[in-house]
Amino acid sequence: MSSKDSRRVELLQGTLDLIVLRALATMGPQHAYGIAARLEQVAEHPFTLNQGTLYPALVRLEQKGWIKGTWQTTETKREAKYYAITKSGTRALGEQTERWRRLAGLVDKLLLNEAE
Amino acid sequence: MAALRRFVWRLVNFLRPGRAEDDLARELASHLALLEDEFRRRAMTAEQARRAARLALGGVEQAKDIHRDARSIMWLDEARRDAGYAVRLLRRNPIMAATAALSLAIGIGANSTIFTVANALLFQPPAGVIEPDRLVDIGTSTKGGGFGNSSYPNYLDLRRRTTTLDGVYAYSLFPQAMSLGGADGTSGAERVFGTYATVNYFTVLGAVPAAGRLFGAGDPPPPASSNTRATTDPPRPGTMSDSEQPGASPIVVLSHRFWTRRFNRDPAVVGRTLTLNGHPFTVVGVASEGFQGTGIRAGDLWVPMSMMAATSPGSSLTIRASAWLLVGGRLKPGVSVARAAAEMNAIGRALELEYPDQNRGTALRLQASSPVPGATVPVALFLALLTAIVLLVLVIACANLAGVLLARAAARRQEIGVRLALGAGRARLVRQLLTETMMLFAIGGAAGLLLARGLTSVLVSLLPALPFPVDVSLALDGRVLLLTTGLVLVAALLSGLAPALQASKADVVSALKNDAQAPARMRLRHGFVLAQMAFSILLVIVAGLFVRALQAAGSSDPGFDPRGVELASVDLSQAGYTSTTGPPFVRELLDRVRAMPDVQRGTIALVLPGGFETQRRALTVPGVTPPDGQRFFGVDWNVVEPEYFATLRIPIAAGRDFGAADRDGTQLVAIVGEGIAREFWPGQSAVGKRLIQQTFGPNGPVANAAKTLVVVGVARDVKASSLIDGLSRSLVYVPLQQQYTPNITIVARTTGGQRIADEIRTLVGTMNPSLPIVSAQTLEDSTSLGLVPQRVAVSVSGSLGLVGLLLAAIGIYGVTAYAVTRRTREFGIRIALGAQRADIIGMVLGQGLWLTAVGSAIGLALAAGASQALAVFLFGVSPIDPVIFGGAAALFTAIGLAACYGPARRATNVDPLVALRHE
Repeated sequence: MSSKDSRRVELLQGTLDLIVLRALATMGPQHAYGIAARLEQVAEHPFTLNQGTLYPALVRLEQKGWIKGTWQTTETKREAKYYAITKSGTRALGEQTERWRRLAGLVDKLLLNEAE
Repeated sequence: MAALRRFVWRLVNFLRPGRAEDDLARELASHLALLEDEFRRRAMTAEQARRAARLALGGVEQAKDIHRDARSIMWLDEARRDAGYAVRLLRRNPIMAATAALSLAIGIGANSTIFTVANALLFQPPAGVIEPDRLVDIGTSTKGGGFGNSSYPNYLDLRRRTTTLDGVYAYSLFPQAMSLGGADGTSGAERVFGTYATVNYFTVLGAVPAAGRLFGAGDPPPPASSNTRATTDPPRPGTMSDSEQPGASPIVVLSHRFWTRRFNRDPAVVGRTLTLNGHPFTVVGVASEGFQGTGIRAGDLWVPMSMMAATSPGSSLTIRASAWLLVGGRLKPGVSVARAAAEMNAIGRALELEYPDQNRGTALRLQASSPVPGATVPVALFLALLTAIVLLVLVIACANLAGVLLARAAARRQEIGVRLALGAGRARLVRQLLTETMMLFAIGGAAGLLLARGLTSVLVSLLPALPFPVDVSLALDGRVLLLTTGLVLVAALLSGLAPALQASKADVVSALKNDAQAPARMRLRHGFVLAQMAFSILLVIVAGLFVRALQAAGSSDPGFDPRGVELASVDLSQAGYTSTTGPPFVRELLDRVRAMPDVQRGTIALVLPGGFETQRRALTVPGVTPPDGQRFFGVDWNVVEPEYFATLRIPIAAGRDFGAADRDGTQLVAIVGEGIAREFWPGQSAVGKRLIQQTFGPNGPVANAAKTLVVVGVARDVKASSLIDGLSRSLVYVPLQQQYTPNITIVARTTGGQRIADEIRTLVGTMNPSLPIVSAQTLEDSTSLGLVPQRVAVSVSGSLGLVGLLLAAIGIYGVTAYAVTRRTREFGIRIALGAQRADIIGMVLGQGLWLTAVGSAIGLALAAGASQALAVFLFGVSPIDPVIFGGAAALFTAIGLAACYGPARRATNVDPLVALRHE
């Protein structure tokens, strides 16, 4: 992977975790492919994110105990690992969202001041 | 909380990577399958679907990589991988690994050994003692130097007067030999070493017993005498009133070692009665394991000071001039050593004024407690010297290793180039190369520690036999291990860093094409070889200088002939001899010794030249006034039997030796040394002059008890206790038959230098079975203690110098061989163009010689500096000894040439055709 990509991924690291958590909270338990598809759907532009880059985020969230993965079978009789948000994950989602909103608001205000 | 969970998971995944790997593979496979299904739904063919799925997922290996980085601890993973590479590398080059590990083991082992000795002699806290850093030693110094013994009356006074110390104890200098009658009354006299100690000895040190009890309240001290100007102070807490009878507490405390060795740790020994010097003593307890006071001398048992009169008649607790005790104490809380030392100084001055005859010129010094009281600085200096030597060897070994690492890196240029091309960071590469170095050092370090055990025993065996037992615990304790590990890490970093940095700097393109190497690398390698040569030559020269010093000491005339003389000391008072029964026994003993078959000459004396013991007496000389307003002359004293001078080959310069006519009842006579004769009667013959010998009682000189001695002979002076400082001692000798002393040493010169210790022991045993030999050694051994530092330095630097020499030779060989390989193409061309063998050899040798010459020059310069710094140990040796320096230079040139020989020959055997095709 070229360094430019890795930089891009790292910028998104914290926010990617947040996005995945939010998606799982809304959708309910979902496998990695499903999450990726959903993210592409919601964002108006296609993500052009390698679906493989979801995996580090999933690992991090699972290690922190905010999501939990279980192997199940899909409707098409394939096996897949379904991730579901946990109680502590819901709590963390609330905190992280709040923090993101505050940060976004602050940046907005600063940009507004600059513009004046 | 979440962060902690994550950390634990990462640790688990680092330790067991397999499971996570399998899980991921499974999940990726499922993801791919689902993607394929989706694309199939969108009416792609199976082939297209699979391809599209892969594209969408974005590279399975990449996904695995970033997953791996996220799920585990990256740097630990990498470290583990590096370690694996390192092990494989070492396995592929076993010879290089073995040589490197071996030379490292020697370097580190030697350092570890010196650390151990330094630890034992300087740093290790004494066992079984509470708060040893609050303890102090108190000693006497004359003429501003030294740290000698105190007398019992002086001890009592300073104990009474100190306000900065919480408890002051005293104990005897050398553990005294006592004879131990079998506890079952059966076996004959067995020699044990006992220490006389004041009753507060164990309490002040805070010792606890392993069995029974130690000295304590209720065990009375010796009686006060009018000499000590008893004050009306109330007894201080912790001391007892001085009103007991002598000999009222015949108790003894055993040392743990003695208890184990002799009684097998039998607890029933407590309460039993032992016979010491013919008197019964009750064992009241055993000291804790390892306890032996604050010093390195280890006795078998402790006896209270008050029992001195019983076990050692003739020694005195009341004579202020008789200094035979070591004194120590514990600082009061909050008091500094400096403050206590200042107070002790003042007390010393006061005692000097109050008792001028006995204490004049004697000051009291106080220092923090040390295993070698008073000798801490010289011991530390000597150990610093040894440390410098062994560090030097380690540096040489490291330089050697660094050179080898450079060579290996050169061989791996292609591999490193590929790594760099594939995107390895330079830091990562350096880390990997360093890991290889660390592994080598870890192996070498572990081997070195094991080696240290063996080396320590060797070092101990270099010491001459000591007349008293010494227990220095030379185990590898935590402090030594820590220091060694630190040393290994630093050395590894220093040796490995330069080669690693150098290697990772490789120009990728040229490395991949395997082009010729940049000259900078060769310069670095040359630098390492030069360093090795310089330090090796330095070591060898230092060893040579010490050999010279030993030679000088040996050849300087000590004034007597110490070779081939056997000594055996006995204490006649231990078998109950008195001043009436003693002299005839001595006469008979001497006759029998002289009659022994291997004995050339025999005599008996109180003190021997070159030993540690001195006796002093006060004299007045009619017509001569002592200097400095003193009342008496203080002279060194010896009590001898006839033929003392002949046995030791001390020339008699004037007059005669003692004879059979000089006995009890006839005119008291003396023989004086030349120095004394010159001092008292300059320019005149001393023979016929008179000396007045004073007798001292508790209150000073006893009137009307002075003895007049007539000088009948003058003897050459002998060298004092350290043969190297060149000081002569002048003594006054008197005949034993006129001035009996129970502490005598049998001196026997053998016909062929044989050891006859056992025969003497048997002889004494047949004459009196309850008279044990206190100590037996040769005169050479007893005089050689002063030369121990030089001896040890010679052995250490000599053997390590040879190791360094070997390593340097290997270094030169390696560099030259490599240079030849590199220049193979060049040599091929030269030969093809008509160069002769001699020319090629000349070129190769030229490079090797250049290295040798420059390295030797640097080393010689360093050695010149070192010999100036070491001047204090090198008495009698000129700083730039031409033989040593020239010899070392010649030796190293020869070695350098020899090392180049092999590669040079190989260079000439190059087939030009092969060479030209050589890459």
